[in-house]
Amino acid sequence: MATETRSSAAAGAKPFDIVASYNELLRSDPDLTMPIAAIEALVLLLTKEPSSTISETLDLLEKSTTILKKANPNPIGLSAGTDLFQRYLITTLQRPGQLGPAGDFKAIRTHLLTNGRLFIRRAKESREKIAAFGRGFIRDGCTVLTNGGSRAVASLLQKATADEGLPSAVRFRVIYVLSSFKNADDPSGEPEGMETVRALRAKGVPVSTIPESAVAYALGKTDMVIVGAEGVVENGGIVSRMGTYQIGLLAKAIGKPFYVVAESHKFVRLYPLGQYDLPINQHVIDFKYDDDITEQKEEPTTPTNGDRQIELPLCDSVDFTPPHLISALITDSGVLTPSAVSEELIKIWF
Amino acid sequence: MTDPVDLAPASSAAAPASTPSQPTATPSQPLPIRDSKSATDPAQQDKKPKGKPAAPATASGDAVAAGGEKVLTPAELKKKAKEEKAARRAKEKLERESGAGAAGGSAPGGAQGRPPVTPKKDAAGGASQKGQKAPPPRRGSGPGIVSHTPVVEQKKKKDDKKVAVFGHLYGQQRRTTIAGAAKEVHPAVLALGLQLRDYVVCGSSARCVATLLAFKRVIESYDTPPNNSLSRHLTTVLSHQITYLSTCRPLSISQGNAIRQLKLTISSIDPSTPEASAKTTLCEFIDGYIREKITVADQVIAASAAQKIQDGDVIVTFAGSSIVKQTLLLAHSEGKRFRVSIIDSRPLFEGKNLARALANAGLDVQYSLMHGVSHAIKDATKVFLGAHAMTSNGRLYSRVGTALVAMSAKERAGGVEVPVIVCCETVKFTDRVALDSIVVNEIADADELVSNQLPQQVTGLADPGAHTPAPVDPKKGGKAAPKEPTPAPSASSRASSTSPLTEWKDTSNLQLLNIMYDVTPAEYVDMVVTEMGSLPPSAVPIVHRMSTNM
Repeated sequence: MATETRSSAAAGAKPFDIVASYNELLRSDPDLTMPIAAIEALVLLLTKEPSSTISETLDLLEKSTTILKKANPNPIGLSAGTDLFQRYLITTLQRPGQLGPAGDFKAIRTHLLTNGRLFIRRAKESREKIAAFGRGFIRDGCTVLTNGGSRAVASLLQKATADEGLPSAVRFRVIYVLSSFKNADDPSGEPEGMETVRALRAKGVPVSTIPESAVAYALGKTDMVIVGAEGVVENGGIVSRMGTYQIGLLAKAIGKPFYVVAESHKFVRLYPLGQYDLPINQHVIDFKYDDDITEQKEEPTTPTNGDRQIELPLCDSVDFTPPHLISALITDSGVLTPSAVSEELIKIWF
Repeated sequence: MTDPVDLAPASSAAAPASTPSQPTATPSQPLPIRDSKSATDPAQQDKKPKGKPAAPATASGDAVAAGGEKVLTPAELKKKAKEEKAARRAKEKLERESGAGAAGGSAPGGAQGRPPVTPKKDAAGGASQKGQKAPPPRRGSGPGIVSHTPVVEQKKKKDDKKVAVFGHLYGQQRRTTIAGAAKEVHPAVLALGLQLRDYVVCGSSARCVATLLAFKRVIESYDTPPNNSLSRHLTTVLSHQITYLSTCRPLSISQGNAIRQLKLTISSIDPSTPEASAKTTLCEFIDGYIREKITVADQVIAASAAQKIQDGDVIVTFAGSSIVKQTLLLAHSEGKRFRVSIIDSRPLFEGKNLARALANAGLDVQYSLMHGVSHAIKDATKVFLGAHAMTSNGRLYSRVGTALVAMSAKERAGGVEVPVIVCCETVKFTDRVALDSIVVNEIADADELVSNQLPQQVTGLADPGAHTPAPVDPKKGGKAAPKEPTPAPSASSRASSTSPLTEWKDTSNLQLLNIMYDVTPAEYVDMVVTEMGSLPPSAVPIVHRMSTNM
């Protein structure tokens, strides 16, 4: 992926490089989610690139979105952002009045850009909102099981520990499921989520870390499961870090509530029918012969991709948790049942 | 088929054929009466002198001159209907009181012996006579075989033929000819009615489009009578057409939705609009509605559903949905390599056309009947279903058997879950709620189950000469056969050589049920593909609300 970025950056030094700016945005702000970074990149693109007509703008947007999606091995998160932005643009442009198709394009453009920034700011605040909604779920004395490195979950848990300067009102315990995959981005090789574990421990919350294999064992001591999500799909299911699906299945089997914390800008217009129906190229299941392994040792994997989508590294692999395993989604527009997600999505799109 | 003149002689020709079998027929009125409402009048005459004014029209009535009758104002019609109803109630009461003994008695006997009305014509009575009209109007062969027994006894036997649980659905007998249609009914609608009845126009979308196109012709040929405004009067004109259509076959949800929208548009027309431009507006509305809600919607649905088909898939589908066909053909033309397994069922065999169309397009098709479902589902990877309607609780209301296919896919033992995908335009969404398939359903002629096309049989034939294989159009399924009036002697021999059920109406303790639809629980449906996107079944009411408010 890095080579791809560099090459496209070199090739398009003069025109705005959407992929580079997207990656740069994600790197510079650890709190930034993928959809928001995508929207921010698109807003940047519109400010940098001159466009004088509506169709030109939309065309530019479309092209850059495709480039961005192609360059990313897991485009689910960012497509939520790009789709939302595109939809927002179209509805704004269709609206009659000064900002409609009849209006002055320059005015429309500035309006779009300012509103885009407003949108980004609001989206960043949404985590606070979620924490406010979700805090009620965590009761005194309960044990929460969670996984992955979701920032929304982290902020929710941290918010629950302290109520605006008061000493910790709610005493709860956390069981943190740590992934067996090493975090590629982290040079220390720490699994994802260790940062949250430390932060929680610092706030006086007892945290136990368990491997993924111990989830079923630990669920008996758990009152609820709270997980984050990369994308919330149309049927109310979630696309999330590998391992979430099995936690969901186990929670359902044992009868513990399974809550998902997600910002509403993570709602994607996507309808996966199962694990293997995701628009991601990931090879979690990889059958090999003895020969293949020796062969692989000799020559390191060559980055083979032309027009094809880049393969997702194993540590970033995701799975799909179907809606019937989810008790509720805690979002910034309230606590929703999975079936309400499609309603929200339809509201945005029509 | 669109020419009503073609149909009229055919119907009148069929009528005399069956008349001889009715010994009660009086020679004074050799021709069937076309108007059901006036048809009951002779029966009422002895009791109700008020019925008389209509009687002359009855006597002079003939099957062809649909418009020739004395013009009755709506008010008069209403009055007449009321009288009829009162008379019917009285009759029923009398019957109940006097029991079988009163058979030959005045009121019921008179009604039964209504001279000119052959059983076929009973159908024309439609809704207005449902209570007493229990004996199903049988096509040719039926009444032919029945040796005439005392009226009431016969009726009693026929009453048994209703399956009790579905008793409420038998209400309306299907119209079998255009005779007796109200004079306001437009020829195009007359023709459509028969096409609907014969399943020539079959399928929810097709019926909706055909209805709208027929109504367009009604509107085109419509002239506002003086002292009337188009927006008020046209609605009543359309109501006549709708009533007629619904006596041919109960209206589908899509037809109902389209009609509702059309009526809404008509009533929203400003009365001051000149007639010509109002009519243009309406015709444009109809064209736009068909294009938007069905033609383009189908394309959008096919495009998005085809994306769900991947190389190596084995797609199971049930019966013949036009939208599923479009989807599969599109996916095939996109170069995807997959197999299709069609599950079909009696008596309509709608899957045959689908199988042929797909095979002609070069797809790999496997065709099996319902009883092979568990076998067919074994190697399925996806199930695509068409819909008759989607109810507000997310359930799928579709051709009977659909629920079984969906369930087989979902409950497949030991396999990976097979996603069940429903392709459905939003016109087919309804705000009704269906908890089971008993409350709302449609009962088709049970005789459709009887007819049996035997394959080339070599042994055990009674008499090859007597056995006249019914020439059956595959499209019409078995329905073409029993329609033909068969002479009684050959019918009995046929009965022995073909279907043992042929004389089911005379066999006691035997009921046939030919139900048209069933309800698939929402849990068995993974995705509903509509023109507004893919939805979980739980989102149906939201989309329905949105699409009707727009």
